[in-house]
Amino acid sequence: MIRSNVFIRKTKRGKILKVVREHYLRDDVYCSFPKCEQCEEEKPIFSSNPSVDSKELVGKYLIIPDSNVVLHQMDILEDSSIRNVIILQTVYGEVLHRSAIAYKKLKDCLSNPEKKFYLFMNEFHRDTFIERDQKESPNDRNDRAIRTAALWYQKHLKPYEVEILLVTNDQSNKNLALESGIKTNTVEKFVKSLKNCDELADKLALTREASSSTGKTAVFEEHLPLSSIQVGLKSGSYIQGTFHASRDNYLEASVDVYEKDGLSILIQGQQHMNRAMQGDTVAIEILPESEWQSSSSLILEDDGEKNDESTISEDKKILQDISNKSEKKPCGKVVGIIKRNWRQFCGMLQKSLIETATRHLVIPADKRIPKIRIETRQADVLDGKRILVVIDSWPRTSRYPLGHFVRNLGAIGDKKTENEVLLIEHDIPHHQFSTAVRACLPSLPWSITEEDLKQRKDLRDLTVVSVDPPGCTDIDDALHCFQLDNGNYEVGVHIADVSHFIKPGTAIDVEAANRANTVYLIDQRIDMVPELLSSNICSLRGGEERFAFSVIWELDENAKVVNVKFTKSIIKSKAALTYAEAQMRIDDSQQTDDVTKSLRLLNKLAKILKQERIKQGSLTLASPEVRFHMDSETHDPIEVQTKQLLETNSMVEEFMLLANIATAKKIYDEFPSCALLRRHPEPPSSNFESLIKSAESKGFTLNVTSGKMLAESLEKSVLESNSYFNTMLRIMATRCMLQALYFCSGVVDQKDFYHYGLAAPIYTHFTSPIRRYSDIIVHRLLAVSIQADAPHPDFLDKKKTQNLCNNLNYRHKMAQYAGRASVGLHTQLFFQNKIVCEDGYILFVRKNAIQILIPKYGLEGTIFLDKSPVKFVYDETSGTQKCGDITFSSFDKVVVQISIDKTHIQHQKLCLKLVSPYIGGFSVSNIEEEPPQKKKRKS
Amino acid sequence: MSIDIRLSNEKLQHESTDFSAERPLHLVIPGDIITREAGYMRGHGTYMENDVLYASVAGCVEKVNKLICVKPLKSRYTGEVGDVVIGRIIEVGQKRWRVETHSKLDSVLHLSSVNLPGGELRKRSEEDERMMRNYLQEGDLISAEVQSVYADGSLSLHTRSLKYGKLGQGSLLQVPASLVRRRKNHFHNLPCGASVIIGNNGYIWICPTINEQSDKTGGFVTNYERVNSSTREVIARLMNCATALAENMVVIYDTTLLCAHEFSLKYEVKELIKPDIAKEIALLTKQKIHNNDY
Amino acid sequence: MAAWELLKDQNFRLDGRKPTELRRIETRLGVFPNADGSAYLEQGNTKVLATVYGPHEVKGGRGRSNPDKAVINCQFSKSAFSSSERKTHMKFGRNSSETNQHLVQALNAAVMSHLYARCQIDVYVEIVQSDGSDFCACLNASTLALIDAGIALKDIVTCCSATIVDEKSVVDVNYVEESSGSAVLIVGLLPKDEQIAYMQMKGRLHADHLEKLLDCAVEGCRNINNILKERIGEHLKTHSSHFTLTRPATPGRAERSRPAIA
Repeated sequence: MIRSNVFIRKTKRGKILKVVREHYLRDDVYCSFPKCEQCEEEKPIFSSNPSVDSKELVGKYLIIPDSNVVLHQMDILEDSSIRNVIILQTVYGEVLHRSAIAYKKLKDCLSNPEKKFYLFMNEFHRDTFIERDQKESPNDRNDRAIRTAALWYQKHLKPYEVEILLVTNDQSNKNLALESGIKTNTVEKFVKSLKNCDELADKLALTREASSSTGKTAVFEEHLPLSSIQVGLKSGSYIQGTFHASRDNYLEASVDVYEKDGLSILIQGQQHMNRAMQGDTVAIEILPESEWQSSSSLILEDDGEKNDESTISEDKKILQDISNKSEKKPCGKVVGIIKRNWRQFCGMLQKSLIETATRHLVIPADKRIPKIRIETRQADVLDGKRILVVIDSWPRTSRYPLGHFVRNLGAIGDKKTENEVLLIEHDIPHHQFSTAVRACLPSLPWSITEEDLKQRKDLRDLTVVSVDPPGCTDIDDALHCFQLDNGNYEVGVHIADVSHFIKPGTAIDVEAANRANTVYLIDQRIDMVPELLSSNICSLRGGEERFAFSVIWELDENAKVVNVKFTKSIIKSKAALTYAEAQMRIDDSQQTDDVTKSLRLLNKLAKILKQERIKQGSLTLASPEVRFHMDSETHDPIEVQTKQLLETNSMVEEFMLLANIATAKKIYDEFPSCALLRRHPEPPSSNFESLIKSAESKGFTLNVTSGKMLAESLEKSVLESNSYFNTMLRIMATRCMLQALYFCSGVVDQKDFYHYGLAAPIYTHFTSPIRRYSDIIVHRLLAVSIQADAPHPDFLDKKKTQNLCNNLNYRHKMAQYAGRASVGLHTQLFFQNKIVCEDGYILFVRKNAIQILIPKYGLEGTIFLDKSPVKFVYDETSGTQKCGDITFSSFDKVVVQISIDKTHIQHQKLCLKLVSPYIGGFSVSNIEEEPPQKKKRKS
Repeated sequence: MSIDIRLSNEKLQHESTDFSAERPLHLVIPGDIITREAGYMRGHGTYMENDVLYASVAGCVEKVNKLICVKPLKSRYTGEVGDVVIGRIIEVGQKRWRVETHSKLDSVLHLSSVNLPGGELRKRSEEDERMMRNYLQEGDLISAEVQSVYADGSLSLHTRSLKYGKLGQGSLLQVPASLVRRRKNHFHNLPCGASVIIGNNGYIWICPTINEQSDKTGGFVTNYERVNSSTREVIARLMNCATALAENMVVIYDTTLLCAHEFSLKYEVKELIKPDIAKEIALLTKQKIHNNDY
Repeated sequence: MAAWELLKDQNFRLDGRKPTELRRIETRLGVFPNADGSAYLEQGNTKVLATVYGPHEVKGGRGRSNPDKAVINCQFSKSAFSSSERKTHMKFGRNSSETNQHLVQALNAAVMSHLYARCQIDVYVEIVQSDGSDFCACLNASTLALIDAGIALKDIVTCCSATIVDEKSVVDVNYVEESSGSAVLIVGLLPKDEQIAYMQMKGRLHADHLEKLLDCAVEGCRNINNILKERIGEHLKTHSSHFTLTRPATPGRAERSRPAIA
């Protein structure tokens, strides 16, 4: 056992506590240079001839970057040409504390054997540890530690003619290093000396130094330091909140205050926004009441590059013009940023007007993000492309944040590129599965062994059938049903046994847990598990023997559960049907084969189950869903259809619900504190206000005191004259709901387990393990509780399970958004060269606009009224807009014209115009081609 | 007032001559195997498990013929018949006194094992029982001899000799019992002007010189005559010498004590409690004994 | 937690140790001349004093005494200044009587108490500075003090803690590691026979990890045991010179000492 031979105590002072911690220094920290004879490293990391591909540095070099270089120039370090780098522990620690993103990237580099990055534990090394001098700041100490380590390396490797290059942008550090005889360089100079500098130079982050050197005057007020923000927060003079930029108006934003729920402070003008960006945690100061304004419903876009100084004052003027004096809201200004929410942004280049300029703006795809200034020499190449950029800083002197180019994604408008953008913007992991993951896959041809047969129940003789949407290749559920001798029914739900192939802790498991779910875009599926599993070995395809996890009930005549069994099994699906096919079989009285018979039984039982469920207070909600029919060659959408809901849809759904609930009970019984469940919290009654008001306008009263009441009153609200009324109410009700959440049973009070939408006291996800990671966990837990599998320690870790749930919830949300965005993208493509008139219904009436739902396309759009030449009068109490004798209220039927607004070539958007009822000067006639320009957009 | 401060690293560094070099000691700690050979008798400080003899205390293995025992550096006193001990009365009971002798259990002194005033052997009457507290009461110190050892290890004492009995004026010192060397005589009238009783139980009694005949009353009368200061100084010096020897693990008997006293003469009495001086004296004593005697 | 990141990636703990390395151990025997035995022990920054009085006659009534073996009595206390926050009224904290019982239990396994029938052995332990693994240090110090007192032990009972984080078990946990919230296993071992004299676990742990953790703690015990043995040996060497002088002077006397009563 190697023991430390030197011992130094490190004291750390906080408040009045004196913490004394041990710090052991060792002599077995090695340099990792293969030729080194003093060190006994078993697997040296560096190459024995570490050269830099440089014009200036000839010979063997190892590179030591300092903390700031790693923090800000990670994109450079990530480049494959940068190798043989020593990461000092000091640097590593600072990066860990200051930036999670940079830290993750650094870790990736360190674990990549190609990169030859070595983490040198200089703080634990006997010769490189230094103690902080009394008057030295922690930063200075760290700089000194870096220099000490560099010096040590230099001396240590001298016999092998390896030199050390310290890369730092800190001038004083650099000077001190030069004094002590260490070779140093700034990042810029270092990159420029490299042979592939052109490529790398673009990735160079703009540092404060570089940008401030131009000596411009400050545009923004200075941010307060964190210490004075904290003082301000404590005293109440500042408020902390999350910054939300407006999508429509680049000069407006709001801050959701942390402490007070629902309170949001308006921030107007770039001066007041003071460089805060979407998602940042900021400290704001409330302006005096005399400066309060109402939020403008204007849509403003930052068009074109302006001079930094001039624009700010201009902004003010614009804003003053628009602010009407009524309905003032509390306004504030940002005084400091507590935490930045910077990530990588997709965007497109807005070329500088000057031909030869290297500084250009990037317009991010997310409208809430301001334009980003980058420096590139490849503007011509990047023009018309989607690119990935990163923000480095936003100095006071610059109107725009400064960033640098990371990657070229592809041409704008290209579907592949746009999909990529969509995935990146929604933070969906979509890279290829790594070799480590693929190594976990079973090898083909895969077959069932004797061993498997012993462990599983053989259900291959049963008439099992799967019913799925058309084109579905990841079939994760199948059903069977037959009548027992005693008159009861045996019903089985068979779920693909994915957990058999994905064992806890393996690479594939880690990857799947991170991805959390399969993301369905209109023309693409981002699998959670590799295709071999999702579409083949796990997929319960017709006629093939597959592993399943089966839930088998005995149900009586009234679909009451007599008993339930869980077992791992082997099944052989007799048929893989689509909903429509199954429906046809049920309806076709000619067919009397086993499959059809069991389908009929299932259907019969499902109806009883559904009735029962609705009686319990389960909500039937609606959302407009569409299907795109794709051109088989161009893969462009050629037709849009709303999804048809058939009896068979609900049949499958009923049994899935039954299985999920049964599983939830079982695993909760077995693992009271660490079961993974799903809950749907009851929405606060305030959420329903607008719904109730809308219903009242048509003479219906909705009772929202409980889910059951709501379901019943929704059921009753049927308008003879408007068949779509009920559906619309349900769509609106859906919007009132909260998100359903995964959670770990140990961290939530049992009374909060309730699933509001399904009126189930306990619920989980069990039935789609191929596309949801939650189900895999549930499978594992269930397998343990029926003694089919050995428990894994992580199952019992409440904290880990809850962390997992948080990720699942986040990914689930993002997948939903991405799916919607994909629909939006395709809708846009669909209307690319069309102008269509279609029936629509008014969903909401707003102060300055009406929102319209077009059932045929499942499309929702807004027609703005305030910019119209005709005056509309808004009646707040009844929620109507009036123009002459025409009144718009919710649920009214209208006819609208749909087209694509191409005025902005890079930001095309869907545009709605009113056709009927006809209002002179506002509506367009059915055939009119080029109407007057108005602000209309799709939400 | 002056304060004498010395740093620990200024302590005398002269390491003792390695006495064990000639005859290496067999040192063991609990759990160590002493021997795997069969046929040994296990003595104190050892235990047998699966025919292997283990040590149960940390100390030195002593082998006498077939008997193996381990002597710990220090431990409570285990009495043997004939040992001279010094003890303190802690309880007066029926027909016996309970005496604290630094062994693991208290020792007893039966009324029948003492010489009553008058000296002659006679039957103990009830009168004597009632008078017990008049002879010896709680807190009194006595010197005695071990008469017998009970099965549980506790000792029965007797004072049936004129040299034993209640102790009067003097100083008591406690040292580890293992340092006291068994001698024929444990009562010494030292030439330096004091008497010592070196109890086998590690208690050392130092008092003014006892007159050969008259003072050996074996009785219970205490001499409260004032002790002159020069005698007191001798007693104090002897005390400090004994302490010095004990602290430095030097065997204590009359010769070593005298030796130490001799070496200590160049220092003042009070200086003897300084650790370095104490150590020096102990070392010198040790060397001298080593060179001369053995 | 940043501390564990380092462990996961680089196999280093926050204080620079590898997972299986112990902290520095310092010992001193016989620190109190008035006690029968005493010891001072440092395990890193955890510093403990232990004193032993006895074996002596049972105090507080003969009723408490056991005619077959010794009664071991432990008193554990923690000084108010031992942790970074000064605490008042710590002496009789909730923990204390429980800890006493645990110490007694562990020591009973080692002390050959049948040799001390009707006796009592008092062990007082005081934590002077606390930096994790307090109980371990207490037990180790108690053992040393017992040895110093010359009390017969079957073996040197040593104690070591271990915890598991992200599948990695670390031995001899310090305060920072202890307060990370994962389960801590404390094992007291009689290394000669590989007997577990004491085992305690704080926090929940999956059964699958237990074996690994136990192995880790036991290995730690063995290492501590070796260190302690070495230290006791050194102490013996420097304090045993009187044996050479006593031996020749007592020819034949040793024969009189009877074999120990079984």
